Amino acid sequence: MNNLQQKAQQLLESGNYGLIVGYEKGTSGKARPVFIRKAEHASKLIFDESCDQNIAVYLYRQEIKHDKKKVIVANHHTLKSIVELAAENQVFDGDFMVLAFAGNGDIIELNTFEEIEKHVATLYHGLTEAEAAMMKKIEDMSLEDRWAFWENEFSKCIKCYACRASCPMCYCPTCTVEINQPQWISVPSHTLGNLEWHVMRAMHLAGRCVTCGQCGKACPLELPIQLLTYKVALDSKQFFDSVAGTSICADNALAIFKPEDHENFIR
Amino acid sequence: MARIGVFICHCGENISATVDCEKVAKVASEFPGVTVSVDYKYMCSDPGQNMVKEAILEHNLTGVVVSACSPRMHEPTFRNACAEAGLNPFLCEMANIREHCSWVHEKSDATTDKAIDIVRTLVEKVKRNEALAPIYVPITKTAVVIGGGVAGIQASLDIADAGHKVVLVEREPSIGGHMSQLSETFPTLDCSQCILTPRMVDVARHPNITLYTYAEIESVDGSIGNFNVKIRLKSKSLDEKLCTGCGACIQKCPVKKIPSEFEQGLGKRTAIYVPFPQAVPNKPVIDRVNCTYYIKGKCKVCEIVCPTKAIRFDQEDSFVEVQAGALLLATGFDVLKTNFFPEYGYGKYEDVIDGLAFERLASASGPTKGEIRRPSDGEIPKKIVFIACAGSRDPAKGIEYCSKICCMYTAKHAMLYKHKVHEGTPYIFYMDIRATGKMYEEFVRRAIEEDEVKYIRGRVSQVYEKNGKLIVRGVDTLLMGQPVEIEADMVVLATAGIASPGSEELAQKLHVSYDKHKFFSEAHPKLKPVETNTAGIYLAGACQSTKDIPETVAAASGAAAKIAGLFSNDLLKRDPLIAVVKKCAPPLYSSCTGCFMCIPVCPYQAIDKEEIKDRSGNIIKTISHINPGLCQGCGTCVAFCKSKSIDILGYNHDQVCAEVEALLNEW
Repeated sequence: MNNLQQKAQQLLESGNYGLIVGYEKGTSGKARPVFIRKAEHASKLIFDESCDQNIAVYLYRQEIKHDKKKVIVANHHTLKSIVELAAENQVFDGDFMVLAFAGNGDIIELNTFEEIEKHVATLYHGLTEAEAAMMKKIEDMSLEDRWAFWENEFSKCIKCYACRASCPMCYCPTCTVEINQPQWISVPSHTLGNLEWHVMRAMHLAGRCVTCGQCGKACPLELPIQLLTYKVALDSKQFFDSVAGTSICADNALAIFKPEDHENFIR
Repeated sequence: MARIGVFICHCGENISATVDCEKVAKVASEFPGVTVSVDYKYMCSDPGQNMVKEAILEHNLTGVVVSACSPRMHEPTFRNACAEAGLNPFLCEMANIREHCSWVHEKSDATTDKAIDIVRTLVEKVKRNEALAPIYVPITKTAVVIGGGVAGIQASLDIADAGHKVVLVEREPSIGGHMSQLSETFPTLDCSQCILTPRMVDVARHPNITLYTYAEIESVDGSIGNFNVKIRLKSKSLDEKLCTGCGACIQKCPVKKIPSEFEQGLGKRTAIYVPFPQAVPNKPVIDRVNCTYYIKGKCKVCEIVCPTKAIRFDQEDSFVEVQAGALLLATGFDVLKTNFFPEYGYGKYEDVIDGLAFERLASASGPTKGEIRRPSDGEIPKKIVFIACAGSRDPAKGIEYCSKICCMYTAKHAMLYKHKVHEGTPYIFYMDIRATGKMYEEFVRRAIEEDEVKYIRGRVSQVYEKNGKLIVRGVDTLLMGQPVEIEADMVVLATAGIASPGSEELAQKLHVSYDKHKFFSEAHPKLKPVETNTAGIYLAGACQSTKDIPETVAAASGAAAKIAGLFSNDLLKRDPLIAVVKKCAPPLYSSCTGCFMCIPVCPYQAIDKEEIKDRSGNIIKTISHINPGLCQGCGTCVAFCKSKSIDILGYNHDQVCAEVEALLNEW
C-alpha cells in the first residue's frame, strides 16, 4: 500500500470521514473517479499522471451531499475549481478535507478554504504549451477561416451536454438550455443552434473558467471546445487582471467595478 | 383571450410626415389579439385620451398600445388615462414610433414598415403584461448636501427653511467655497465676502442644519427616500467642544511658512490654522502633513498654549452614518493651474498667475491687503495682460467648452486693477466677449469705455521673461492679424474652469453619471437641469458645469425646491417594475443556485440572501432575495444571472423574448 492508500484507510477507520472521492485505475490506461466508503477499499486509490480529470464536479452532487465528512483527492485543476466553487457559494468551508500533493509526492492535508487558497497560489495558472499553441493557431486565422473552422466543428456537435456535465462550474439545477418558457436556445442539434449553445457556455464561464480543459476531454466528438472558454479566461486576465480559481472572494471580473480599475476601454 | 387596443398618434406632423399612420393603424388592426386600432392627430390631447378611455370601456380591452412618442414623454399620461378607465396602468405600453422611427428616417414605405414592426412588438409584449400595483416606501426627510460653497449653503438654507433636516458636508475646514475667496463680484462690484458670510453664519446657526466640515463622503447606499450615507470626519486633532476659537495656538505655531490654499499660495499659513478670518466654524485644524509634531514627534506648542486643553494629537478619523431621503451634489469646480500652459511658462514665472490668485490680490482681506502687487517682488505692476480663454474653447488642449465665467471676471479684474492703480494699463486678449447675463454687457462696456481697458481680439502665442518684464506675444485679429508684443509686469490667465478634484470618485460612489470632463451630468439638459439620472440625487452649481454666482444660487434654490417637494409626501410612490427572484414548487423551490454573484453586481445594494426552510426550521436552500424598496429595476442582475432566475416585473424574459420574436418573425 502506498502513502495515499494508507492515509485513506486511516481516515476512514478513524470514523471521522465517511467518503473519499479520488481516482482508481480505469481501462485503456486511463484513471476514473472512485467513491470509497469502506476502509478495505482504500487500496483502489491511485494518484499519478493519468489522474487528470477534474473531480471537483462531484463535490456538490446530490448523491454525496449528505455523506458524512468527505475527503477529496485533488489534482491542481480540482483545487482551482474548489476555490472558484467556494467563491460562488457552491461548497462550504469545513464540509470536506482536501488531499493534495507536493512536488515531491508528499500528501498535503488542506482543511479550510484559506489553506486551499494559499496552496493554490503556489500552483501554475495558465495554459500548457500545447494548449497555448492551439490557441495561437486559431487566433492567427483570418476571420473567415476561423468562422469556417468553428462552423465545421459545431456542425459535428450532437448536443449531448457532456461538456456541461463534466464542468465543475456548470452547477445550475436548471440550465438555460432547459428553459423553454421562453425557449432561448433551440433544442435540436444543428450548426447554428450548437453555436448558440457553445457561445452561451463560454460567456457563462467568463471569469470563472479555471482552464482545466475537462469539457474538451469529455467531448465524445473531440471538438476543441475548451478553447472557447480558454479565450474568455485569457481575456479576463488581460483586461481585468482576474484569474478564476485564485480567490475565495466573490470578485468575478464581470460582476464588480472598482473605482481604481484601470481598464479604460470600458469607459 | 387578449383584447388589445392600438392607438396611433400622428403627433401633428412629427410622425405622420414620414410614417403613413393610417396604414399602420390598418395593418395593426389585423394583428392577432387586436380588437381596435385607430389613428388620431394628437393622442395626448383630451379627445385623444378620451378615445383610449372609451375604447377600454366599449371593448373591455385587456391591454393598450399607444404608438406615439418616447415613454419618457407621455407614458404617465396614458397610464393615468387607462387607470381612469379602470384598466391597470401597467397594461398600457408605449410604442415609440417618433424618436425611434419618424424622426430618424426619411418618408418611405420602409419607415412605415418599421413603425408597423415596432407596434407589433409592443402588441406581443402587452399581451403578456400583468396587472401590477405601485410600491410605496417611506421617505426619510433629511437631505445630505455635499459641498459647502455658495450652492451648498443656499440649498441647505432653503431646505432647512422649508422645515426639513439638512446635513451639510464640506471637505475643507470651513464652508464658503470659492466665493469666499473672491474680492468683488460682477456686475455690481459688491464685496463677495460681505454678501456670503451672513449666509455662512446662518448655516452655522440654523437649528435644522448639521454641519460637518473637514469631512468627506465615505460611502452611500440605498436609494431615493432612504439613503444611508457614511461620512468620514477627518481628524482635526482638536476637541471642538472645548475649543473657543481664541487663536492662541495659531499665533504660537512655529511652522508659519506653508503656502495657504485659501490665498492661492500667495500668502502663508501655520500648521494649525483656520483658512480665513470669517471661517465657519472658526475653529482650527492641524495640517498633519506639515505639523512638526507629526513629522518629528515633538513640538506640541499649541497644546501648551491652549487655554482650554482642546488639542488632541491622537484623535483619529471618525465616522457618522446619516439616513437621508435625498442627496444634493454641490461640489463646485476648480481652475486649471498655470503650469498647464507650456506656452505661458509652465507656471515657472511667478508673475503669471491665475484668476483666483488675482482675486486674492484684489481682496481687502488678501495677502497684500487689497493692493495689486506682483508676487515676485511686491512692485505695483504698470501693465497687466489678462488672457481670456486660457485652456477654454481649445480642443487642442482637450477642453472644447466655454468656461462661461471668465469673460466677466476678466473684465472685473481689469476694472478693479484700474480702480486701484489709476496709472496702470490693463490689456485683455480675448476670443469673443460673452456677456449674456443681466447687466453683464453694460458692465463690459463700462470696463472698455469708462475704465479704458484695452481689449485686443486675438490669442497669445507665448509669454516669456526678458529683463524683468514678461513679454506677451500675440496677434490682433481685428488689425488684419497684426502681431502684438506687450512688455507686461504681470500676466493673469483666465484659466479654464474644471471639475473639482475627486469628482469622478464621488460620482462612482454615488452612481451618478458624469461627462468626459468629469462634470456631473443632469438628467435632462433642459427639463431636468438639477436632477441626476439617479433618483433622489440632485445637482447644484458648478459641479455640473462652470456657473457664475447668480446661476449657482438659482440652481441651488431649484434643487432645494425639488428636495422640499420630495419631502412634502410621507410616502414615495414607485413603479413596481422591479426585479424578483423566481420561485417554484419543491424540491427545486427556485432555480436560483445561490451563487450570489448578483450581490456585487447590484448598483443599489438591493440584493441579500434568503433562507428557504422546512417546517422544522432546517435550511433547505439559500437563495438571493431582492429588496423591493431598494431595487430600481435596472436589470443588471437579470443580465448577469446564469440560470435566468431573476425577472423584472413588466419586462420579464417571456415578454422580451416575445418582442424579439415579433420583430424577427414575418406574419
